[in-house]
Amino acid sequence: MAVWSCRCLRLGDALLHRAAGILPRTGAGTSAEGGAVTGCVRTVKTSTWWDEHLTEDNVEFMKRDVTEEYRELTAAKLNPLKDEPWPRHAWEEQSRRVGLVAVKLGMMPVWTKSGDRHVVTMLQVQDCHVIKHIPKDEYDGNSAALVVGAKNVSPFYRSVEYLEMFQNVGVPPKQKLTTFCVTENAVIKPGTPLYAAHFRPGQYVDVTAKTIGKGFQGVMKRWGFKGQPATHGQTKTHRRPGSLGPGGDPAKVFKGKKMPGRMGNVYDTAFGMKVWRVNTKNNILYVNGSVPGHRNCLVKVRDSILPRHLAKNKNPPFPTYFTDGDEELPEDLYAEDVFQFGEPIPE
Amino acid sequence: MAFSSMALPKMISTIHYRSFSVSTVVAAIQKMTRVRVVDNSSLGNTPYHRSPRVIHVYTKNGVGKVGDTVLLAIKGQKKKALIVGHKMPGPKMSPRFDSNNVVLIEENGNPTGTRIKAPIPTHLRKLEGDYSKLLAIAQRFV
Amino acid sequence: MAARTQRAGTLIRLLGNVRFQNERMFSVFSVRLRAAGPSDEPPKFTPPAKPVIVDKSKPEEAVRRFISPEFIPPRQRTNPLKFYLERKDMLQRRNVLNIPEFYVGSVLSVTTSDPHAANNTNRFVGICTQRSGKGLGATFILRNIIDGQGVEICYELYNPRVKRIEVLKLEKRLDDNLMYLRDALPEYSTFDFDMKPVHLSPTQDVPVNELKVRMKPRPWSKRWERPKFNIQGIRFDLCLTPEQMEHAQKWAEPWRKYDMLKEYDTSSLEEKIYQEVQAELRK
Repeated sequence: MAVWSCRCLRLGDALLHRAAGILPRTGAGTSAEGGAVTGCVRTVKTSTWWDEHLTEDNVEFMKRDVTEEYRELTAAKLNPLKDEPWPRHAWEEQSRRVGLVAVKLGMMPVWTKSGDRHVVTMLQVQDCHVIKHIPKDEYDGNSAALVVGAKNVSPFYRSVEYLEMFQNVGVPPKQKLTTFCVTENAVIKPGTPLYAAHFRPGQYVDVTAKTIGKGFQGVMKRWGFKGQPATHGQTKTHRRPGSLGPGGDPAKVFKGKKMPGRMGNVYDTAFGMKVWRVNTKNNILYVNGSVPGHRNCLVKVRDSILPRHLAKNKNPPFPTYFTDGDEELPEDLYAEDVFQFGEPIPE
Repeated sequence: MAFSSMALPKMISTIHYRSFSVSTVVAAIQKMTRVRVVDNSSLGNTPYHRSPRVIHVYTKNGVGKVGDTVLLAIKGQKKKALIVGHKMPGPKMSPRFDSNNVVLIEENGNPTGTRIKAPIPTHLRKLEGDYSKLLAIAQRFV
Repeated sequence: MAARTQRAGTLIRLLGNVRFQNERMFSVFSVRLRAAGPSDEPPKFTPPAKPVIVDKSKPEEAVRRFISPEFIPPRQRTNPLKFYLERKDMLQRRNVLNIPEFYVGSVLSVTTSDPHAANNTNRFVGICTQRSGKGLGATFILRNIIDGQGVEICYELYNPRVKRIEVLKLEKRLDDNLMYLRDALPEYSTFDFDMKPVHLSPTQDVPVNELKVRMKPRPWSKRWERPKFNIQGIRFDLCLTPEQMEHAQKWAEPWRKYDMLKEYDTSSLEEKIYQEVQAELRK
């Protein structure tokens, strides 16, 4: 809500939406000031908070009503757009599918049948929907793109432009939107829900997320420099970077020199993680090893791009797993060598 | 100095393990680690004023774990030995011992003694091919 | 009648031997009864009802409640669903493998499958010195002294290599962590591999063994006299002078107990999980 002045310019636009559908934020009707603000340094507030002129009962009602509506939308599990479904193509080599946006839950151990222990990260696929399809020529000319969103959020306190995208496809607004580059045969109609069964046990995925922010850190922690000795005549030089480079000839510090600074809070990808297990009821992926990001953060999961894993990623559910489709899945899918806790004790 | 050299052998003979000040629990076996010889070879069992020390570890990183070979300085001579247990906790479900145990071996891998007095971890059996004679003289596995 | 009183008296004595928390109350009561027994006999007014009253004063002999500590999730901002899913796996495993009730201080025997051991199984007996880990990663450490050599093994409770866990002696000790047995005299952690299991009825309380151990000469692996360990089970009077004990109090942090952020009341959580676990295991 920091962009008041910007909002003023678009007020006319916003009014149209207000007439159209759900009112995310009700205006006070002071549209006359709209034109006068443009040159001002000081911004003038022309719109109001959505609940500013509502009674408490009405606020309560709005919240309840919207929650109920979104729950129904998510529970329907069907493509809300009523026009005919898009054609589905068969998987072929070089196809790139869409990925998922998931919530990182935490870690736990799994054991293989031979007794080896591995640790896995549990990723929950929460209300994941395809939001938008960007055709090839509109995106970058090389591949089409699908925008995928996850984790339903309250529509109040979101901008009109943001909510419009979700209204068009008839799904609740999402906390996180991500773009996936896909091949032309893997496009999915916007509004389609995505599930954890999109990935199958035994295949390999890449997981992208923002790493945990570490704040301003020195070179030893940030870049792994060695530092200097603790003793032997050191004066105030123990964790410092040392020389920044040669002196007189370049007479400058080269670009990209590793120096102290903000560490973490950047996007990072963990490549080639095996999917050990998939829970289809709660939509949980059990991915080998650790994944960037803190607990409860939203991560982006997609088929691994590493060449050595391409052979194991053949013939996945294509373009994704549909609940209305052919196969009925058991609650838990396991990779073939995973020890299942219910099974009798192996020798 | 003279006093300590006189007192140490007596201590070694009376207390079986923990007879000298120990390295920390978290450290594996490295150069200058003092170890306990657990076979019945005369070289490892006659009292001496200096406890056996590791002077080289035959691994790439210089850190010895169970199953690695080390070079000992024992009674003023050099002798190879096999690590059969250490204080540092290894992987889960495998034993951890209260002392750093080694068994003296010849250059060809045969044991110097004829009996191993302390229990030996079973996963040493992975080395069956190279040290089958050594494993054959072990009294007990845990 | 007299036989019945006598039987009740022996029963009470037995109960007294098991060392309850309220041991003193019991022993006093039984002494008085025995004293009263013969004096009351001549007037033909034998009070056989009195021992029954003792039994009544004790609450209904229900099976003791126990929930394994790894079921209680740590306090953190994790989605409870994660712990629920882990619990489901743990219960599935418990339906196949009987993981009995045990505490730090109990003597256990664990049989594991081991590809390197003779006929692929390996059995170890020892005292449980530590339980740690939550959820599926829970572990416990067994300690024993074999041929004069101290051996510890850290077992994972839910590892599929574990074939059988048997409690040979169910008891507690004065501390929740017995790592100091490493620095205690070896007889305190020596246990026979052919030890016979000691039976304890499922309605009895778990006895607390109030054994205090004697230590080897210092240095120890940790300074156990420091207040942060709060060790009850060591005879400090034999190995430390009063001055040394007083000196250790220098590291006391008496303000810690007023830190309300560190309080983690699990009682309601424990009750909920207990019901869930019982419902699942009864299936």
